[in-house]
Amino acid sequence: MASAIEVNDFSFRYQGDKRYALKHLDFAIRQGEFFCVVGANGSGKSTLCNALVGLVPHYFTGKTRGEIVVDGTKVSESTVADLSSTIGLVFQNPFNQLSYTAGSVAEELAYGLGNHGVERSEMLERVDTVARLMRIEHILHRNPLELSGGQVQRVALGSVFILEPRILVLDECTTQLDPLGGEEIFDVVQRLNKDGVTIVMVDHDMERVARCADTVMVLDQGEIVALGTPREVFTSPTLGEHGVSAPDYVSISRALVEDGWDIPNIEITEEPTVAMVRGLLR
Amino acid sequence: MMTTEHPGGMPSRTGSRGFDAFVPRYTVVERMHPITKILAVFCLGLSAMSWPTPWLGLALVVALFAVSFLAKMPREFAKIMFGFGVPISVMLLFIQGCYSPRNVTFIADLGFAKLGLEGILYATKLVVTLLVFLGSFYLMNKTTYTGRLVAALTASGLPAKMGYLVLASLNVVPQMQRRMSVIQEAQSARGLRTSGGLIARIKAYLPLMGPVVMSSLTDAQERGMTLETRGFGIRGVKKTSYVEVQYTVLDRTANWLLLTFFILVLVVSTLMRLGVIPAWGGN
Repeated sequence: MASAIEVNDFSFRYQGDKRYALKHLDFAIRQGEFFCVVGANGSGKSTLCNALVGLVPHYFTGKTRGEIVVDGTKVSESTVADLSSTIGLVFQNPFNQLSYTAGSVAEELAYGLGNHGVERSEMLERVDTVARLMRIEHILHRNPLELSGGQVQRVALGSVFILEPRILVLDECTTQLDPLGGEEIFDVVQRLNKDGVTIVMVDHDMERVARCADTVMVLDQGEIVALGTPREVFTSPTLGEHGVSAPDYVSISRALVEDGWDIPNIEITEEPTVAMVRGLLR
Repeated sequence: MMTTEHPGGMPSRTGSRGFDAFVPRYTVVERMHPITKILAVFCLGLSAMSWPTPWLGLALVVALFAVSFLAKMPREFAKIMFGFGVPISVMLLFIQGCYSPRNVTFIADLGFAKLGLEGILYATKLVVTLLVFLGSFYLMNKTTYTGRLVAALTASGLPAKMGYLVLASLNVVPQMQRRMSVIQEAQSARGLRTSGGLIARIKAYLPLMGPVVMSSLTDAQERGMTLETRGFGIRGVKKTSYVEVQYTVLDRTANWLLLTFFILVLVVSTLMRLGVIPAWGGN
């Protein structure tokens, strides 16, 4: 399958900083893939997200090496605004994702469409579609500044997704939500992925990453220290050295092995672990 | 397929709180095109200004009161007009009436000064002209959703970035208030007293200003990035708006009437000044 994103030996150092925030990153993300990036704080996850959408180097200046190609377009040769119809970014703080010019959620959702010159009739259709998808039809006429954190997060995600980008980058976009709210947003993201949208997600919830990701990449001080399937990455014995912990289910499987149980696999998600334990108890 | 109602991009009654002065009342004045309302402000204000006597201005003030009933805001309108009109009238009538060099015909002797008719008429004209400008602008502002105003101005050639500046500026205050309350709560949780007398409050709030301003600047930087990722800086594209602004037959008629009225007033007032026709109600 063709690559949605190609990162070719990419390094970046912020202006005035001696250390490289990203070092020799070299990987590709397939179209329709669910790609997760994990790592400790300061490992370069957000910088990578900014680089994928072009904020690095167009907004955050510094020293850049290598190249990022998004859907066949070199990021360094395009603009952030031009890339916005191909790749969308949902930031950590949903309140900063708002345009602060809209008096209603519907207007907020449509803001990006207006920038792209989309006709009003099509705008209305897309607002309806995205509102249903995000389950925010009932708040379309409310002021975005008066919504709860979870509602604003949905609006933020909707305002990016309404541009119909083929690639969606989510930078810890559920950190401000309660567990239920986070899961609801995640359900939406999974549905988008099933519809063919390539997802690049930064998340600290390893169980969720293990459950949904096709590929997991671990960053440590700007370098790729692990890249593979969730099973390959989370069963790696060196994972803990990079400030990343595997899902609890991995510990359960390992404890069973240590106690002499004969189990076929180290499980990384809930359902197989439950099935395995039930099998052992019978 | 289920569809959501899109009333021309108007926010709900609750939706407008904290955003701008507009509260939807669903009136005919509200539905009028923002450019028509701006045209009304200028045509009526300049007409009152160019007419040589105060009577046209007075008639327009009465007409504006009638419009305020149509706009379902007679109380607020009266409050503004009298709140501004009474003190400014008293002040101008006193100054111009007693001390204007135009005064030739004296109508009363106050002891310390004589009240002149010319000065009073001149002051009245000044007051009614100001009231026409104030009243028409107030009605325009209160009956126009800012999003519609900016969409109309942008459609008329205002650069989109300028339009963004207008709308975003209106949100600076509620946004900073929100930030202030968050920081205040955080500081209160750490023992800072934010209640008490005036001095205690000033002492408590002054140190909060730094974090409020700094965090607002940081937010503005991130907001700039997010706007770019939503295509704000895209070039070669004619931007469109969710907010629908269309000229109706009523708007077109109103525009013609306003322009005709203004031109008529200009012609008649010029003829009056030239002495071709008498200045009605003049001195």
